[in-house]
Amino acid sequence: MPWYLHLALRQLFPTGRRFPFFTVISTLGVTLGVALLIIVMGVMGGFAYEIKHKIVDTEGDVQVKARGWIADAPAVVRKVESVPGVAAATPYASDHVLIMFGGKSIYPELRGVDVGSVLRVTPLNKYMLVGTIDDLDDDSIIMSTQLAASLGASVGDTVDVYSPLTLWKMGQDAVFLPRQAKVVGILEIGHQQLDSSTVYATLRLAQDLYGLGTTVHGIDVRLDPGVNEDDGAARINAVLPQDVRAFSWEDSFSDFLWVLNLERNMIFFLLLFIVIVAAFSVMSSLLISVVRKTREIGLLGALGGRPIHVAACFCAQGLFIGVLGTVAGLALGFTALAFRNDVVLWITRVTQRQEVMRRFYQFSELPSHITGGTVALIAVMTIVISTLAGLLPAWKAARLKPVEALRSE
Amino acid sequence: MSDAVLSARGLRKNYRSGDALLEVLRGVDLDVAPGESVSIRGESGSGKSTLLNLLAGLDAPDSGTVEWDGSADTGARRRAAYLGMVFQSFYLVPELDACANVLLARRILGGADAAARARARGLLDQVGLGGRARHLPSQLSGGERQRVALARALMNNPRLIVADEPTGNLDERTGNGVIDLLLGLCTSANTAVILVTHNAAHAAKTRRSLVLTAGVLGS
Repeated sequence: MPWYLHLALRQLFPTGRRFPFFTVISTLGVTLGVALLIIVMGVMGGFAYEIKHKIVDTEGDVQVKARGWIADAPAVVRKVESVPGVAAATPYASDHVLIMFGGKSIYPELRGVDVGSVLRVTPLNKYMLVGTIDDLDDDSIIMSTQLAASLGASVGDTVDVYSPLTLWKMGQDAVFLPRQAKVVGILEIGHQQLDSSTVYATLRLAQDLYGLGTTVHGIDVRLDPGVNEDDGAARINAVLPQDVRAFSWEDSFSDFLWVLNLERNMIFFLLLFIVIVAAFSVMSSLLISVVRKTREIGLLGALGGRPIHVAACFCAQGLFIGVLGTVAGLALGFTALAFRNDVVLWITRVTQRQEVMRRFYQFSELPSHITGGTVALIAVMTIVISTLAGLLPAWKAARLKPVEALRSE
Repeated sequence: MSDAVLSARGLRKNYRSGDALLEVLRGVDLDVAPGESVSIRGESGSGKSTLLNLLAGLDAPDSGTVEWDGSADTGARRRAAYLGMVFQSFYLVPELDACANVLLARRILGGADAAARARARGLLDQVGLGGRARHLPSQLSGGERQRVALARALMNNPRLIVADEPTGNLDERTGNGVIDLLLGLCTSANTAVILVTHNAAHAAKTRRSLVLTAGVLGS
């Protein structure tokens, strides 16, 4: 090992001292910065990852939509399913309705699905708490837990469903009775936005409610595993007429995803300042070290050490602190992520806010997902910043003339 | 002297203090033969350390030349191999133990292999500190630290050792021991020594004794 690296290590970890104060404090700052970055980016990434999965699980990888309605849905479904890489397709009709029960009312989105094919595209049964999608008939609905709780309805109850068409006809003084539907199932997707706004029914019931006849609003598509959503959408578009287009879920939710990414990037750069502040602490400690060790630096020059190697000795200390802090920070960050839900549970228990958490939080559990790329970015940026923090002290050390350094008091 | 390990000619060095110009060295000539020991004495502020720094290549003269073995290259790289230095304040690296301090000279030169480690331990044995190789400088007495510094100066088999008042921080008995050790080891290794000292008794132990007076070196 070159002498300057050896000396850098020895200055950080002197013989006989297990936890040197300067090294521990400097490393701790970097560690906390990295751990916080990992935790926050992990949770932020978890939100994005969960949202993606919920969207794909409830609406498929690709959605086919027309300018108006899709008239010959079976023909379009056959066309879409003939495209290589498409696993399955299913038609849907979706709009808002008014549901009343026991004097209470809600305004969810009612999504009519083809019971025969929907499960090949959207695995809704895995979110069912009571009943299955197969229990649906043209006089029944499945509600999410939050909607059922809001209405006070449970499985077996019959609710009144008013569609926009019903309300329009009532406006025309026509006598139009609400559609009565029995609750045959309860589901919980685990995403507050979906759980508070979605009701499932058969496609025929939805078509009746919205006056669609045999037309549908769109077609959800499931791609084969490993097929890119944008590629899949492009392939489907190649076989569709011009007025019917396929959109990947990322296209459909591009604004939402852009905002999510913006939030993540902003938080990343804001939290990076913690690492930068820690790096300033490393720099000031190393500058003090240069002043304190002026005569040693002179000695190194007198023994034949070149200025660039003297500089490397101090720069390497910044690098070693960065590497050590990054490793410790990654360990701390991933440990915190592993126990995140226990911590949240403990906090809600202590504050007695479990119910509030469940009702208002977007997910039933704190999600976490962090990619290797994000971890690498955090690690590399931290190590680079810490190494740069050693540059100024290194430069000052390299500029010292041995003869003057040896004379210093 | 063609085979001199060190040859200095017409060394001049001035310092400016305000408007005044201090002429510290006024044309110093010096030749040191291989294995020769030379002492330089002088009053405080006479320029002994300045001269030593010029001879060691740590500072540049205003005029004059310094050659080592006939070469004007006195740069850091060559200094590591050619020259050993001993200072009044020892200048050991506090984070390194005695053996690592000795080995540091070889690390800087390059090639701190097993043989070098064995030599470092051997040198510590020679200076009587074989049993204290793993001790930090803070665990050693002043005399012991200076002996470690002496071993470090000898580590790279230098042709020349320059010692700047190496006994200045030691009591007389310990100082005598260090000087005897320095001169004895240099004699056995055929290493030349330039010893800057206030102590006439120590100077008398060298082969040639010089005095720096008013910036000029004389016998």
